[in-house]
Amino acid sequence: MDTTSLISEAKARFNHNSAKAYLKDKYDSKLIVADQSGLWKADLQTITFLSIMDDNFVILIDTFNNPVQVNRDKLLVLLKETYNQVMLEWYKEWKELESKR
Amino acid sequence: MSRGALLFAFNSPKYNYYEMAVVTAKRINHFLGLPVTLVTDSESLPVKQSYQFDNIVIATADKTNKRDWGVWYNKGRYRAYQFSPYDETILLDTDYMVNSDKLLKTFDLPTDFCCHDNTSFLMHPGAAQEMLSVYSFNTLWATVVMFKKTKRAEQIFNCLEMVQNNFEHYANIHGFISATFRNDYGLTLATRIVNGHTTPIEDVIPWNLLHVGKNTSVYRNNNDEYNTEYTVMFDNWQRGKIRKEYINIKDMDFHVMNKENFMELISE
Repeated sequence: MDTTSLISEAKARFNHNSAKAYLKDKYDSKLIVADQSGLWKADLQTITFLSIMDDNFVILIDTFNNPVQVNRDKLLVLLKETYNQVMLEWYKEWKELESKR
Repeated sequence: MSRGALLFAFNSPKYNYYEMAVVTAKRINHFLGLPVTLVTDSESLPVKQSYQFDNIVIATADKTNKRDWGVWYNKGRYRAYQFSPYDETILLDTDYMVNSDKLLKTFDLPTDFCCHDNTSFLMHPGAAQEMLSVYSFNTLWATVVMFKKTKRAEQIFNCLEMVQNNFEHYANIHGFISATFRNDYGLTLATRIVNGHTTPIEDVIPWNLLHVGKNTSVYRNNNDEYNTEYTVMFDNWQRGKIRKEYINIKDMDFHVMNKENFMELISE
């Protein structure tokens, strides 16, 4: 039996909250990148901090709580690329799920 | 620097783990681009093999572990370090459904050993994390382990052997039931012992292990060999009645706890 018939026969309802939780789990993990001996999350806070600093090298606390000296530009480019790519995929999949009833 | 995956598969009277391992190995080849070494026994190995593993290690299965549904050949996982021919290894349970290249990230982590300490259940958000006991600490998960050939990683696996051999003793200390040996518990204790009774944050894979738990079933959306789209159905009990709920997932790795469901997923 294909899944469409299965859903219809079971009179199953699409669960938006679970779908949201699944998407968050999936894409949160994709925001994590390893670079310059540290592990980073391409989140707004880190990207904003790297954007407003103007030194070539800055010291940041990575997700393992270790201070790491990084090349600011290099990390910023990587995190922005990761952020844009992951958020675009997240948004696209969310739009697909949102339309389900 | 060689990289690969390692699977343990000893057929039990109830489940064909070799068959599960073949499907998982193909998916590892496809999504992770890694060769796979299988650890099995001669009884589990079919005469005619449809799939060529990178290596097959013949070992003796320890058949002394029992579970509610029968005999569970899960002991001896500590031999992973000895059996892996790779410098960097991903050790996986055979019922882990690989749907993406996400596990490759574990090689980039600044550590020589890591596994999951956090889980989430599909369609069961907010489920409590498992603990060894209410008086003890959170469980690490042996479902996915990345290790490199280092002294420390070797010590962890040696310690896992010691914990397995003295499981009742550790069960008494930590207040859990020792009747069934669990690699998750063994690994939790071994990792902590080797790290001076702590779990370093670096030894933890920085995302959740996704489980398909009880009252939940997964169905393939199509019959492609490397399908990555699934429908997840959950029986939500409300006021004595079941309300069926579902979501669709894609490109997401998950661990199927229900072996029957995993066998259905991989059947032709």
